Amino acid sequence: MSSPLLSVSGLTKRYRRGGKTIAAVDNVSFHIEPGETLALAGPSGSGKSTIARLVLRLVQPDAGDIQFKGEDFLALGGATLRARRARLQMVFQDPLAAFNPRATVARVLDDPLRIHGIASRSERPRRIAALLERVGLSPDLAPRAIHEISGGQRQRVAIARAIATKPSLIVLDEAVSALDVSVRGQILRLLLDLQREERIAYLFISHDLGVVRAIAHRLVILDAGTIAESGDARTVIDAPQSAIGKALVVAAPKLDRTGP
Amino acid sequence: MSPLRRFLRMPEALAGTAILAVLFAMALAAPLIFPGDPQAIAGPALLPPFQDWSLPLGTDRLGRDVLAELFHGARTSLAVGLAAAAAALAVGAIVGTLAGFAGGLVDDVLMRITDAFQTVPSFLLALAFVSAVGPSLGVVVVAIALGAWTGPARVARAEVLSIRERDFVAGARVIGMHPLEIAFREILPNALPPVLALSSVIVAAAILTEAALSFLGLGDPNRVTWGGMIAEGRAVLRTAPFLSIIPGVALVLTVLGVYLAGEGVIETTAVRRSLS
Amino acid sequence: MTALLSIRDLTVIYRRDGSEVAALKDISLDIAVGERLAVIGESGSGKSTLALAIARLLPASARIDGSIDWFLRPPPTLGAKAPPSVLPDISPSRGEIALSSPPSPISKVAGEDPTAKLPISLLEGEMSGRTEGGLMERKAQKSTAKPDHTPLGGRDIGFVFQDPSASLDPVMTVGKQIAEVAHTHLGLNWPQAYAKAKTLIERVRLPDPDAALRAFPHQLSGGQKQRVAIAAAIAAGPKLLIADEATSALDTIVQAEIVALIRQLVAEDGMTLLFISHDIALAAALAERIAVFRHGGLVEIGAARQIVSAPRHAYTRSLLDAHLGLDAEPLSRQAGPSA
Repeated sequence: MSSPLLSVSGLTKRYRRGGKTIAAVDNVSFHIEPGETLALAGPSGSGKSTIARLVLRLVQPDAGDIQFKGEDFLALGGATLRARRARLQMVFQDPLAAFNPRATVARVLDDPLRIHGIASRSERPRRIAALLERVGLSPDLAPRAIHEISGGQRQRVAIARAIATKPSLIVLDEAVSALDVSVRGQILRLLLDLQREERIAYLFISHDLGVVRAIAHRLVILDAGTIAESGDARTVIDAPQSAIGKALVVAAPKLDRTGP
Repeated sequence: MSPLRRFLRMPEALAGTAILAVLFAMALAAPLIFPGDPQAIAGPALLPPFQDWSLPLGTDRLGRDVLAELFHGARTSLAVGLAAAAAALAVGAIVGTLAGFAGGLVDDVLMRITDAFQTVPSFLLALAFVSAVGPSLGVVVVAIALGAWTGPARVARAEVLSIRERDFVAGARVIGMHPLEIAFREILPNALPPVLALSSVIVAAAILTEAALSFLGLGDPNRVTWGGMIAEGRAVLRTAPFLSIIPGVALVLTVLGVYLAGEGVIETTAVRRSLS
Repeated sequence: MTALLSIRDLTVIYRRDGSEVAALKDISLDIAVGERLAVIGESGSGKSTLALAIARLLPASARIDGSIDWFLRPPPTLGAKAPPSVLPDISPSRGEIALSSPPSPISKVAGEDPTAKLPISLLEGEMSGRTEGGLMERKAQKSTAKPDHTPLGGRDIGFVFQDPSASLDPVMTVGKQIAEVAHTHLGLNWPQAYAKAKTLIERVRLPDPDAALRAFPHQLSGGQKQRVAIAAAIAAGPKLLIADEATSALDTIVQAEIVALIRQLVAEDGMTLLFISHDIALAAALAERIAVFRHGGLVEIGAARQIVSAPRHAYTRSLLDAHLGLDAEPLSRQAGPSA
């Protein structure tokens, strides 16, 4: 088997708060294969979002190693790092906060195409229309302002922006948590379609085990910055071994649809 | 309701806009109505206003037409006020954005420079600068902007510090955007509204500073300025007070107009922001 | 069943930049004394508008038609600070609710309207409530005075908002915020009010109650803040507790704890619960009845068991189908990892 797409080992990030040092992420190791969905689950404060930001090089780790496509990702900087970012994208929880409040749909999708030289200026409008269609939106949406479209449409635009650079890995940080349930199903199906067709791997961060079970192949459960358990997503959810895993399963809202 | 209609419903904003409109009209029309040199002698010296209808506001000590001087003075006041304020806002916004976005050493250095400028009274700074370089229109603009850019810089920096932490900035980094593009294309436009809210105060202050410099004789000697007219009239304040009063009133009205119109714009945009 | 309140033909229209949007359209429903009613729906369904309308927290610009009738027994004798008890500004005979001004006294005690400027003394709010009350009384002589009295937010209605960071005053200690409600509505003096606050903090099971009393909101976690908000909401012993997406911002484990806490408090105090949520599974686990809202209309209402197992409406069925439980089949297994 070839080397994994992303390999994280000994990742540690500490924050100072009021004289005390708190490890938000403490010696965390995991890997993601091409085309695979790895879920990170855990209660708030377990370090899942910090891991997302570390992997994306939005914050610097205090210790640890990140290998992405066989390259030391932490050693990159400047223009090289910016160029490599095309392969590693992110979708945020709140699609409204994730875009410049003044942006239009077209501009949001134009940026990655321009920055990474994917399409010439004259070619870009056509590429933007194709991206919108790819995520199930009408190309007519392009001139609209981001704040004018619905939450579900916004998250589709966020996905279109993430796939514009043909990435190998997309970090989805609670990407469906803020959506209505009906929209959530559509977005999850879109993500699965993209994964199947483009072999994109996902690092799927969620506190909702139901969603994790529906989309993830493997699952890492975090507690207070450390890995509590990991394994096949269904196996872990069906029979959690760690205390926090059990607590998450017990706490998940359950719907008993059998009649009285 | 459209922002324009909301703006038009505010009487003070309307009054401010009307005053500014008249001033701009004066400034634009000055070379048409008074094509000659406003500093040329037009009649007998010290003619009081409303005596001779070819010289409705009378003449000064040298027999120059006060009305012509007033019109041409409006040009100088508005040009210098707007240019100095625009320069101050631009420099302030850029320095503040760089300091807030870069952080660390860049932030420290830029903010200490800002402190240095802020500790010197801005009028003394302008005075020293003009005395050293010599009076001309461009120098006066720079001199005024030197003392006025620190406020916008501080406001812009504070705004940038909070915007920097927002998801869309992280999103711009994730797609590989260059830091300078993030600072000036993503962050700066969103940090501008509170900076622009300062503009009416800065324009008003710039017009007053220009008048003060001219009053002290540090204005461009080849141009008529209201400050210069007041200084000119000071010598004959007891016998011909109108020579000081007329440009003084023009100055007060201008500052008032800038301030009222500016407040109207801020109020309108504030309402629109709270609605969305 | 005895109704606590009865909503008839309630329509709420928001005006924004000249256009009008109906957030609620002709809603009629009863809430029974002591029941747990869940209102579920997606964004734009009007569920939060309903909660705000019942609590009289709608913005002054909203146009309200229809009626909300309360059937409250006259409240037990309260301290001198209680406002006049006959305030029929919700008068079915007039067919509309007079929402004369932004209801400052309510917003303050009900855990603060997040849009309102925060640190205004409760006493001021109470006084403005009284003047407003006096005004209403004069109006009442013209219209028919009803035996029921208008509920007062904080005393008769407890409101828990989604975001406890926004609903708590950041510069006031937790103890003071809870004690203020007791002081204002129960007429307790300050030592008594603080003692009451301490029992409430114990009841919402905050660790180390004495330290919690002196803590500021930013020193607490999200779940702890929500416990404080609940303590403040129930401090005056309200008849109705409204929880508007009160657990949505919390993680699953804390959400389950808060739901269990609400269930216990409601049972102990005999409160009526209005639980607003987007999560049908959560609603079904907590409520006896569920009302399903969509686009400002009431789709269906029924026993929780019936809504979940035998929904009458296709929309309810689609909501149920969209739920992803731990027993649900994975959406797709085709995209396996590289082997």
